[in-house]
Amino acid sequence: MNDASADLTKSARSEPGEVGLVEPRDFVSSAPFTFDNGLAIPGFTLRYETYGRLNATGDNAVLICHALSGDHHCAGIHALTDKKPGWWNNLIGPGKAVDTNKFFVLCANVIGGCQGSTGPSSIDPRTGQAYGITFPAVTIRDMVRTQKRWLDSLGVRSLYAVIGGSMGGMQVLQWSLEYPAFVQRALAMATTAREGAQAIAFNEVGRQAILQDPEWNHGYYPKGGGPRVGLAIARMMAHITYLSDASMDRKFGRKAVAAHHKPTPTAGTSTASAAVTVVAPNDASGLSMEGIDPVAPAATFDVRFEVESYLRYQGQSFINRFDANSYLYITRALDQFDLAATHGSLEQAFASVQAATLVVGFTSDWLFPPEQNRAIALALLRAGKRVSYAELATDLGHDSFLLESPQIYDLVRGFLN
Amino acid sequence: MSLHSHLKRTVDMQIIADWVEPGARVLDLGCGRGVLLEYLVHTKQVHAVGVDLDFDKISACVRRGLTAYQGDMMALMRALPENHFDRVICSRTLEELPDPGAIIEQALRIGRTVTVGFVNHGYWKNRTAAFFCGRKPRNSVYTTAWYESRPSNPATIADFEDFCALRELRIARSAHLHGDWKTTCRFAPNLFAGYALYDLTH
Repeated sequence: MNDASADLTKSARSEPGEVGLVEPRDFVSSAPFTFDNGLAIPGFTLRYETYGRLNATGDNAVLICHALSGDHHCAGIHALTDKKPGWWNNLIGPGKAVDTNKFFVLCANVIGGCQGSTGPSSIDPRTGQAYGITFPAVTIRDMVRTQKRWLDSLGVRSLYAVIGGSMGGMQVLQWSLEYPAFVQRALAMATTAREGAQAIAFNEVGRQAILQDPEWNHGYYPKGGGPRVGLAIARMMAHITYLSDASMDRKFGRKAVAAHHKPTPTAGTSTASAAVTVVAPNDASGLSMEGIDPVAPAATFDVRFEVESYLRYQGQSFINRFDANSYLYITRALDQFDLAATHGSLEQAFASVQAATLVVGFTSDWLFPPEQNRAIALALLRAGKRVSYAELATDLGHDSFLLESPQIYDLVRGFLN
Repeated sequence: MSLHSHLKRTVDMQIIADWVEPGARVLDLGCGRGVLLEYLVHTKQVHAVGVDLDFDKISACVRRGLTAYQGDMMALMRALPENHFDRVICSRTLEELPDPGAIIEQALRIGRTVTVGFVNHGYWKNRTAAFFCGRKPRNSVYTTAWYESRPSNPATIADFEDFCALRELRIARSAHLHGDWKTTCRFAPNLFAGYALYDLTH
């Protein structure tokens, strides 16, 4: 694993095709911003990264929109010791599908987030205290409108393209109908114009896990504290919805974690050594969930399967980087997003769109299934807009849009060129 | 071979382009990699939409700057309102369809005109292949052996015109090409034409 991460770092640093070292920056807007619900904050910060250069005419900008748990760090590395590059590093870089030699690529952490942009964990300058749940409810449209202010400040005159998956795809749709003349191309993947009951249901279970954690304390908790167990459980469950039965089975199956492997009668032979499970990278079987007493029912309910270990790791690492209130706000924004209801119908919502649009669905995505992606494309077609729809056969579930897939690279490259 | 088939393709493409009104809204059923639509965009500035089942074909269309929809053509057409397109084209696709009558009916609902182009199975060489050899035709059109092919549903010019009469579809114009797919065939097309094109309206 150390070798692998060293290789990754090396390739991210020196080989052509990599963005390399990047530094996040902050856009600070000191003008008040009024949210969709009418409430205002005195100003806000968006943390962002850029790769490549803005051309003289200011029209080669490609905006990347991140998903629920994503952030502005979508390509390159922050330090040579980084184990992982940005979340869409496989797509973005010199000579890659989103070519930073040609395009000025930007990505900002959304408003309401917790990776440097203003959100519930930020200090309200009016009170000197964290906003907590006094932070106004955030919508996808608020995310887009705050980013427009940021892009204007950078001298971006139009977006050559706006690209995103999942919640990022919702922002893409919102961009193209909110600022029709500004957006030339819109690429939305694994997304929906309105979540179905199932997706809302999963988000609600996640929110309840947080809200029912006593540490949530009505949204008032110290930085680094709070409903860590609730948030971890929310993340564990949500993470399942990003995968698929087939991909989980391939990755984990019923493999047991090493500590609980029962030696077979032929222990010591090759059979036994072959049966010793290869533990997933970043193994967290040793981690107990904070706040959960590891002793109580002990052995019976401790980690048995690799999939459990994996999910605990996902939960554990999430609480170290994500704010529980942000999770509440952003999942609410996802659930509230409903272009059809907001505009009367999906066709009316898209009436203003000028961008050429590409929608991409994934066959195994059961969170935002292909039909919901197709519905976007069909509504755009009915509205007389330029739209393509492609559907990739994968078995990796919702997270397929992050897949290393030459077919996706070709499609994206073709759409941008 | 590829150049040959490209040339063959050119004449039927030219005929379709002659028939298409400039700036028309055109849907191509079974658009493949978008060769025909690209040609129509260049020659007639059409607003083109293609539909096909295959991801890589849609990707090729997108690369050509075309808009294309991956999915079932029937499902797509059912999702669109009446007369959404000026013209729906079904070129070299007909014989691949399980229910071509239903497709043409739908196409005539969402399009004012439907252009159908198909290989004439009644062409004499196709007949002799069956009659003298007792075999499925093998030539530059039917390139594969039966065991390498999907089941196809070939039709003859006579079959097609019977269908149009039965469904009371008006044949606004037609063109028949000889076995070379280049020169116009005016005499006994069901026997001597290798390829046929029709413009249908209600």
